[in-house]
Amino acid sequence: MSDLALLSATEAAEAFARGEASAEALVRASLARIEAHDGRLNAVIRLDREAALEAAAAQDRARAAGARLGPLAGVPMMHKDMYYRAGRVSTCGSRIRRDFRAPVTATVLERLDAAGAIDMGTLNMAEFAQNPTGHNAHFGDCHNPWNLAYCTGGSSSGSGAGVAARLFAAALGSDTGGSIRLPASICGVTGLKGTQTRVSRAGVMPLSFSMDNVGPLARTARNAARIMGVIAGRDPRDPTSAAEPVPDYEAALTGDLRGLSVAVPREWFFDGAEDVVVKGFEAALAVLKGRGARVSYVSCPSLRAVGAYVALVSRVEAAAIHAEWMREHPGDYATHLSARLYGGYAIPGHLYVEALSRRGPLLRQFCQEAFAGHHVVATPTLRMRVPTLAETDIDADPDNWARHMAVSANTRPFNYLGLPTVSVPMGFDDRGLPMGLQLAARPFADGRCLMVADAYQRDTDWHARLPPL
Amino acid sequence: MATDPMDEAERAIRFWSGVACPNAAGRRALDDFPALIAELAALRGGMAFEEEPALFEAALRAEKEQEA
Repeated sequence: MSDLALLSATEAAEAFARGEASAEALVRASLARIEAHDGRLNAVIRLDREAALEAAAAQDRARAAGARLGPLAGVPMMHKDMYYRAGRVSTCGSRIRRDFRAPVTATVLERLDAAGAIDMGTLNMAEFAQNPTGHNAHFGDCHNPWNLAYCTGGSSSGSGAGVAARLFAAALGSDTGGSIRLPASICGVTGLKGTQTRVSRAGVMPLSFSMDNVGPLARTARNAARIMGVIAGRDPRDPTSAAEPVPDYEAALTGDLRGLSVAVPREWFFDGAEDVVVKGFEAALAVLKGRGARVSYVSCPSLRAVGAYVALVSRVEAAAIHAEWMREHPGDYATHLSARLYGGYAIPGHLYVEALSRRGPLLRQFCQEAFAGHHVVATPTLRMRVPTLAETDIDADPDNWARHMAVSANTRPFNYLGLPTVSVPMGFDDRGLPMGLQLAARPFADGRCLMVADAYQRDTDWHARLPPL
Repeated sequence: MATDPMDEAERAIRFWSGVACPNAAGRRALDDFPALIAELAALRGGMAFEEEPALFEAALRAEKEQEA
């Protein structure tokens, strides 16, 4: 095998299981690729080289002893620097937590460890996971592997850039307003935000208690399905996690879209959309139709209220979490983050309660509008082409505020609605930057999103393209 | 004499939360609010509060995809 770092997560796991590659060789290939390319990308915050090689050696010994291998055995992964591992630093991309040693290990990391994945360290991210572009004033901006002048999307910037650049096979991100799907779309990889409550958040830095989600960024929907199968499910340490049974997501990837109905909302998602994005989206719909899906345009008036309320919830919850730091040392935040948090304190409590209390009724209304007779909703992940780092840098110029916030316009509604949503690569814009197709389904139909995404990837090769590093 | 609503917002934040405007961009973050308030005002009267106990998690379960 020429370069083991180019294998996707499932390919790496299968190569290891068949004895074609050792876990140590897989990790060393990733380490070499990080050494070769991360100086320009800045995706990595901390590389745990020795711990990764020790974990790989343990997997190699287990395989030699004939032990039963986990579904991710030998797969090199890295994670957004907000997943706690007891005794190690989780910076959360911030100066404030630069030396914070986590007292516990996140349940999702424990589950990945048990599945045999190799944790190689931590990844760059927006400070406290709070911007949609990936800018970071403390650890330096992460750069898009397709063009270093462009943003990676955020907040899981290192996860998106690192998977796209094949620095490692897959990564965890988090998604409160699009922070998995945006870097997935902008860097040209696959990212899944599960149903709200589907994945445990124990041992994970909180941003918004109501809308935070943990999920994978990986090369393909099949990779995401395998990782989701490992991390999803009830966790006694997270009382908000759902007890719904976790299906075999991978087994459901049949590629068969006959009888599938796709709804495209007329409202919201195309407001001000750029032509190249709309054309790319229409081409993606044609691929789905080619596999037997029906596509219908539907009206979803609920989106106006969703769009208004989603703007309140995460801002108020983030403001509450950060209040002590905002009083005591606001200068330790990047300019754009303290500004964003500041706005949260102006929102009256009764409107926050109103936003939360209408979440259930609006979910019911949206499901009636979008899913009556339809299985998935399809939209572009972004309405706009990928912006440059400079034109979305609020710290350099507050006039960039509107452009910066517009990046997440199409992803935020699904956080308020709590619906499972995946972003898959759907081509490149006229500047050579990736575009994404967003697919959402009813609650707990995470597997439906993955099945459609996988079918799409059987007829396209956007996800297989390698950035010109 | 009319007062600037943004000045009022800054005073209310300091009064209730003890948080001062951190920088010029902080003031800019409040610029979004007139449009957001207009959106919220447009929703008034459109939805009633449900008086029965409710959880969003229950709504998620209720809206699950039905088996074929």
